[in-house]
Amino acid sequence: MRPLVYRRAASLAEAERLLAEHPAATLLAGGMTLIPTLKLRLARPSHVVDIARLAELRGIDGKDGRLTVGAATTHAEVAGAVAVRRAIPALAELAAGIGDPQVRNAGTLGGSVANNDPAADYPAAVLALDATIETNRRTIPAAEFLVGMFATALAPGEIVLRVGFAMPERAAYRKFAHPASGYAMAGVFVAEHRDGVRVAVTGAGPGAFRWREAEAALAKRFNAGSLAGLEPDASGLNADIHASAEYRANLAGVMARRAVAAIQ
Amino acid sequence: MRKPVWPPLARERVHFVGQPVAAVIAESAAAAADAAELVQIEYRDLAPVTTLADALREGAPQLHAEAPGNLAFDFESGDAAAAEAAFAKAAHVSRLTLRSQRLVGNPMEPRACAASHDAGTAIYTIYTPTQGVNGMRGALSALTNVPRERLRIVAQDVGGSFGIRSPAYPEHAVVMAAAKRLGRPVKWVGTRSEVFLGDNQGRALELTGELALDATGRILALRWDHVANLGAYATPFGAWVGTRNLTVTMGGVYRIPVLYGRARCVYTNTAPVSAYRGAGRPDIAFAIERLIEYAAAEHGLDPIEFRRRNFVPAEAMPYKTANGTVYDSGDFAAVMDDALARAGHAGFAARRAEAAARGKLRGIGVAAYLEAAGAGAAPKDQVRGRFGADGFLTVWTLTQSGGQGHETTFAEIVASGLGVPIERVRIRASDPEADLVGSGVGGSRSLAGCGSACRVLADRIVEQARPFAAEALEAAPEDLEYARGAFTIKGTGRAIGLFALAERLAGPTPHPLDALGEGTFGATFPNGCHVAEVEIDPDTGATRIVRYTAVDDIGTVVSPALARGQVHGGVVQGAGQVFGEQAIYAPDSGQLLTASFADYPMPRAGIIERFDVHPHPVPTGTNVLGAKGVGESGCSGSLPALANAVLDALRPLGIATLDLPFTPARLWEAIAAARGRALSRRAHAPQV
Repeated sequence: MRPLVYRRAASLAEAERLLAEHPAATLLAGGMTLIPTLKLRLARPSHVVDIARLAELRGIDGKDGRLTVGAATTHAEVAGAVAVRRAIPALAELAAGIGDPQVRNAGTLGGSVANNDPAADYPAAVLALDATIETNRRTIPAAEFLVGMFATALAPGEIVLRVGFAMPERAAYRKFAHPASGYAMAGVFVAEHRDGVRVAVTGAGPGAFRWREAEAALAKRFNAGSLAGLEPDASGLNADIHASAEYRANLAGVMARRAVAAIQ
Repeated sequence: MRKPVWPPLARERVHFVGQPVAAVIAESAAAAADAAELVQIEYRDLAPVTTLADALREGAPQLHAEAPGNLAFDFESGDAAAAEAAFAKAAHVSRLTLRSQRLVGNPMEPRACAASHDAGTAIYTIYTPTQGVNGMRGALSALTNVPRERLRIVAQDVGGSFGIRSPAYPEHAVVMAAAKRLGRPVKWVGTRSEVFLGDNQGRALELTGELALDATGRILALRWDHVANLGAYATPFGAWVGTRNLTVTMGGVYRIPVLYGRARCVYTNTAPVSAYRGAGRPDIAFAIERLIEYAAAEHGLDPIEFRRRNFVPAEAMPYKTANGTVYDSGDFAAVMDDALARAGHAGFAARRAEAAARGKLRGIGVAAYLEAAGAGAAPKDQVRGRFGADGFLTVWTLTQSGGQGHETTFAEIVASGLGVPIERVRIRASDPEADLVGSGVGGSRSLAGCGSACRVLADRIVEQARPFAAEALEAAPEDLEYARGAFTIKGTGRAIGLFALAERLAGPTPHPLDALGEGTFGATFPNGCHVAEVEIDPDTGATRIVRYTAVDDIGTVVSPALARGQVHGGVVQGAGQVFGEQAIYAPDSGQLLTASFADYPMPRAGIIERFDVHPHPVPTGTNVLGAKGVGESGCSGSLPALANAVLDALRPLGIATLDLPFTPARLWEAIAAARGRALSRRAHAPQV
């Protein structure tokens, strides 16, 4: 790690001011991605501004069919929160399956969506749950927020405050973990809303995406059988030393069927 | 053996990604890292060879002028002509090529060393976790041309090794040179990235076996053709793994009249390969038991009966194999029967049917393995016992724990030999002042070698103490009997305890009861039968190890919990190789593509859902404890048992063989292809 200045912001305003004063500063929440990249000298910020304890980024609230979760909420807190378990149990289950206990007790919802790792779990949830990402400047729909691999619509100085999820009629998430990293080789979030079915896939492609063909099939009949033989087009999926694109396409189909079977 | 010079820092050519090219010494690790980033090297790219096939190809790039054709060594064992004749008259022949893929050792603690140089005495003091201070002294002396007597090696706590820490490395030499030049201590602690890139790696073997059978299913001959990937340079153990260790037990537990093995060792642009848990013995055990299973399936033989028919019978012990190895003891049929009974082998068909009803492919795999645990390179093993003013007996050994728990086992042996409480015995390992002859840790020999010396030490102490006890009790030495930690005048209640006697004699140094335990102890042949049961999800290719039974003849068991732990660790390490671990180099660039835990899967706790481990001791006569090695036998059993279980599950689909590792992706592709799915592109092709 290279020398840097660590500052714990006492308020959102102070965090904003520090980011404005130091163009090479970066935000720290759980640090699950930032700390390893610092140690490997891949990230070289002049300042690290810790926002993990900001009151403005805390809190879980459900009303009017939407569940709002503060950006600094850890995965373990999401997994254990009664409000989440009652409103969207699938979201709590997803959080309970992220990484390992250390990761879940340090990593945050806001950090995960802001990082937009193509194999992270939350991106599938924000797409399938029609989420909105509220920052210190604006509210961004998930589909516009997730721009591409490790890329989001966040502008310099912009801070994620909370994420609002639509409460579905029913939902489930199933993932197949990468044997080495534990990240999703393919993870599928299926959510049936009053106005339609959303199916989002993470891990299999260069970024989380909605699988429209599966959504259409499930809209006709919400049953695992409706997805029989269906797989996303492999041509856009990842192929590497670990697995072919066809394997990942197959996994997406299998995980989608298992998610539906769990709630049909 | 064609052995090119391995310079501590690369000169002219860099032979593998991860080879040290420059060293920066600084006041802090951060400053050194900053400075290292400023080192600019202009490389001219050369075409690399990373695999055996590439290296042996006609016209392949040549790594070392000393080794034409990239060939280091061409080795033979056994009788080629007799094998040829046996195959000519065979009723059945089976042939199978197996790959034991390249692995990264990944001990818990990265390599490290700290050196200082005394300009007055010209002595280097080097703190480095290693498997044996005497071996390291010799290796470092050879590497640096510093005489052995000027190398003081201290190895206290060792955070795992698996063979990887045994040899001297370039970093040792660099740190020593820097300490001398600067006149102050210099320390290096590796990172996990350096573990992946710079540590010696393991396995990297291709083994082709041919089995000749008569019409009744008796084995007439077994012939091997091995190729070992040494990496870019010859480590002290690389060729040993690829030749001697692959051939010493090449017939396994079977009575085979004719054996022949050829082994070639090849240089490639990859990290050098050295000993890694088992060092070739798990690989040959894996190959034998895969070949046995494959041949049984190919020729319609029941694999259990096929094994039983060909076992070396217990009454044939000691048994000399066709290539000259003498197995001192073993009862392979009894061990297999024990394992099959404990594993519920007879009831497997019902479990397979039940799994099939759930859409899962269930398989059972049996492996009857045998391996050679080492006698050690030193002429004998010594331990030194010293009675201290603190009221403890301290035993100095040359083998230190890298997590095995020697401090418990050795103390148990000495304490039980003396009949004193274990808490009165302390074990101190690898102190340069102990001045002992003996081997370090390696080849699963610590108990048979150092442990036996501890047993001898206890007897020596009693004999040495007897005249002093007689004097104290005012009796004749022959009238004393020793039991439960005390000398007693026979037929009386008059006694003196060993530690009371030691206290009475305290004062002069060395203490009159200080003693040396020593002896020469032979190789042992741990063996066993492991039975694995797996369930494969054909939709994802994921495998669960639902049941694992290990019945091991590890001779006399000294510490049951530690022995069980060794079997657990060895079996799970094998499971890591069977189901995921693989070091992959890019063939076009020579870059290591699996250089972190994000890409290199280690086996995790819980990988084996139901684990039954039972000793089935057949004591050996080659050491005073009757103990056989246990440190590596788990790998020798689990590689073939798990691989056979997976292939058993896949056999109904017409899949007879498949390369390791059995990752979910590879199993799914094999299953999908067998079920008629056209796959445009397979996942990464296996390579060695």
